[in-house]
Amino acid sequence: MKRNVAIVGGGQTYHAARRHDVDQVEMVNEAVRRALDDAGMTIDEIDTVFLGNMEFFEGVHMTDCWLVHGTGAYGKPGLKITTGGTVGATTVCVGAHHIASGLFDKALCIGFEKQEEGDTGAILSGVAHPLWGRSLAGAAVGYFATMGSSYMATWGATEEHSAMVAVKARQNARKNPYAHLKLDITIEDALNSRMLSYPIRMLDMCPASNGACAMVLADEKTAKKRCKKPVWIRAMDTAHNEQFELDWRFVDTKRPIFSKVCAARMYKKLGVKKPAEYFDVFEVYEPATWAELIWYEDLGLCGPGEGFRLVEKGMTNIDGPIPVNPSGGVLSTNCIGASAMLRVWEAALQIRGDAGGHQVPKDVRRALTTGYGGTNWTVMTALSKTLDD
Amino acid sequence: MVQKEQEWISIPMTVDVPYRFAAGQYLTKYLVEMRDNGKIFAVKCPRCKRVQLPPRIVCAECHVKNEEWVELAQEGTLVAFTIMYLPLTDPTTGKPHEPPFVYGSVRLDGATSVLDHFVNVEPDMEKVWVGMRMRLVLRPKEQRTGDLSDILYYEPLPGQVRPK
Repeated sequence: MKRNVAIVGGGQTYHAARRHDVDQVEMVNEAVRRALDDAGMTIDEIDTVFLGNMEFFEGVHMTDCWLVHGTGAYGKPGLKITTGGTVGATTVCVGAHHIASGLFDKALCIGFEKQEEGDTGAILSGVAHPLWGRSLAGAAVGYFATMGSSYMATWGATEEHSAMVAVKARQNARKNPYAHLKLDITIEDALNSRMLSYPIRMLDMCPASNGACAMVLADEKTAKKRCKKPVWIRAMDTAHNEQFELDWRFVDTKRPIFSKVCAARMYKKLGVKKPAEYFDVFEVYEPATWAELIWYEDLGLCGPGEGFRLVEKGMTNIDGPIPVNPSGGVLSTNCIGASAMLRVWEAALQIRGDAGGHQVPKDVRRALTTGYGGTNWTVMTALSKTLDD
Repeated sequence: MVQKEQEWISIPMTVDVPYRFAAGQYLTKYLVEMRDNGKIFAVKCPRCKRVQLPPRIVCAECHVKNEEWVELAQEGTLVAFTIMYLPLTDPTTGKPHEPPFVYGSVRLDGATSVLDHFVNVEPDMEKVWVGMRMRLVLRPKEQRTGDLSDILYYEPLPGQVRPK
């Protein structure tokens, strides 16, 4: 990068299924105020504001304009970001690019979703091609269900492995005061939860959450002067996929698909040979249990078809050697426009040592996060504690 | 003093928006062949040779124009499926599909891509599996309208036994 960029502050709302006590502006402002407080800055010090959410989930377009008073963007430059499930990570990426380029020194990045105000399933069907498959668009659950059936048939995993991921996420969420689904559940509970779309049961799927996350990014000079615990953005990458070819259904594909391509480019930039050892913690975008298992494989934390073995052995537990989603992940909190940003923010909290009850019990110096969305694409962000890490 | 419970106002609203989408050069040819001749056509990339559905003007991976049209067999293999238990709304009609129902991804013989559609089997795990051989069933010719609903469903080829 032309200039180093650090995360110098951040904040999130408490995430919940119902937030009728606030409108969109009020909810976004909760996260913005927490982020500014955390950064020790006033809105006047912010050079530019980037806002991301999923277009039309709340029934309004141009939320960057509508929410100006809540975001603090009044009179400032900025952009609206709408890239589906990845939007929160893309928003961080855009903020970081603007600082790295030298155009601005301090950027406020915000992601939010107030899912209860609209019909997520109906709007998501608009992601499908109108004349090819939209009539069958089974919201997100149908796609992850076909992925699960393919994964089990190809690698010999069972519904129990999915349940293990479901339990890990919700037990981690119980340690995170901001998480939405803080459930004290067992494998049996997951296996006995209501079938939505075979093999996906209620507890194998993410909730529909309301919430927002905001982060303040700054250049190296500002970060070193103003922030006690800056977290450095070391690499970012985005990889798009081909519309119609939703490759995660074909889990043994040899094609260079988005997730593998993006990870390979990130590792090349950073000189990573063994990602499971190089990174101390991972925050991945897993709207369904099966997606987490596929992330293990596509990120190279294990070989193809071995993802379910990692969770079976407890390797990815909060106190395991490769902690994945100590926050509870998307399975516990999915306020879509904020979800991919929460991955980055939660990883930053881990590096700062500020994750509280869900802090990984080891020295955390490097973290990798993924976003995921739409017709299958990803945005990855790698963070570090110092510029030498 | 008795504290009155806090009231929050929220107002329901429905947005009903009609659209009309152009199928374009490639999808029109596909839909016309299926409607008028009962044939399924894909395009083959001159560089990577992937046989792609739906037919599209450019291969995304190679970024070259797809010009070779390939007729596909109407039999293939189920590579992924689900039994849907939710009454999901069909966005093209506004009406829900009656659950439970089965749908899946079938790779027709000769194709690289899959084509997703309903599978006409009982919604029972013992009756449907990955690897099952399928046949595409079209509507009778006089009922076809020139969209993807001209495909009724996939139907398992007879005489198959679920692998252990």
